[in-house]
Amino acid sequence: MRDEHITHMLENMPLASLGESELAVIRTHAGVCPDCRRAYEAARVSALLLRERAAETFEPSPFFQTRVTATLRERQASTETSALRRLWQATGALVSSMAVTVAALALLTFINPAHQPQAGPGQAVSTVNSYSAEEVIFDRNNVPDDEMSYGQVLTTLYDEDTGR
Amino acid sequence: MAHDAREGDEDAFAEIVRRYSPRVFRFASRFFRQRSLVEEAAQEVFLKAFTQLGSYEGRGSMEGWLTRITTNTCLNILRSAKRRPELTVSDLTEDESTWLDSKLADVATERHQSQERSLVAADLAGRVLETMSPEDQLVLTMIDGEDAPVKEVASVTGWSESKVKVQAFRARRKMRAAVEKLLGVKKSQDQNLKSAR
Repeated sequence: MRDEHITHMLENMPLASLGESELAVIRTHAGVCPDCRRAYEAARVSALLLRERAAETFEPSPFFQTRVTATLRERQASTETSALRRLWQATGALVSSMAVTVAALALLTFINPAHQPQAGPGQAVSTVNSYSAEEVIFDRNNVPDDEMSYGQVLTTLYDEDTGR
Repeated sequence: MAHDAREGDEDAFAEIVRRYSPRVFRFASRFFRQRSLVEEAAQEVFLKAFTQLGSYEGRGSMEGWLTRITTNTCLNILRSAKRRPELTVSDLTEDESTWLDSKLADVATERHQSQERSLVAADLAGRVLETMSPEDQLVLTMIDGEDAPVKEVASVTGWSESKVKVQAFRARRKMRAAVEKLLGVKKSQDQNLKSAR
């Protein structure tokens, strides 16, 4: 029966933590069950190996502290350098993009108008005079109040002459 | 001291390194067999601690805070390293093979081992552990190797106590299976040798 096997007892907690009564159960069962005997042997060897492994520790060397502080300084210096480099790269990118923009503007200003097609006389008139034909016809009688009539102009001119 | 180091006082930081490095080394030794790796991990721990000093609020102990950083750093290093494939008898050194033989013959008496044999055993343990996950290595070394309570493992890893228990249960099973396999192969090889003579 699976319940009678002791492997679960070996895996539930460290072998060293098992009580005498539990160990007695394990030993008794391992005496009659070859599978559990192998498992018990392996568990004991594992426990021994882990004890030896845990006992092996290293102590820091006398220079460890100096090494750490030196590495810290190095890293800080490299961080500062890389920050400056990043700044310089960013500035360089900005300057070059500005130069490109200026060059593009210069091209648009000086070179581009020469390539524009010559406009015809009619087109020129229509560009200068933005009024449409309808506007001219309908607004003919609508003379602004502040505009001087022909007679007023003549009167002004002659009055000035007689005044002299 | 932590406050001064946080403000950039290098002497205060050097004092932290001096005071806590033995503890960090002992803890990192659980994960690595080579001294150079332990030293590298410990250095990384202190450099990380320096950058994270702002997050240390002084509520818990500095030792506990550094232990947590050590655990995470070592687990990360192990996770990024390639895990060894299964350890087979043919991978064992002659000393390791002899050690296993002696354990098979003398498993009941557990006689005191010489220092040299202890080193062989520690090395073999390390090689078996290397085939397991970093988490398994941690729980086995702490709980089974050092008798650390489940609560302590939970505290340094940030896991729940039940997770630690489950992890330890599974890790123990894997370790036992790996060792059982080695012992089984050794036994059958020895029997073959005897019958050949």
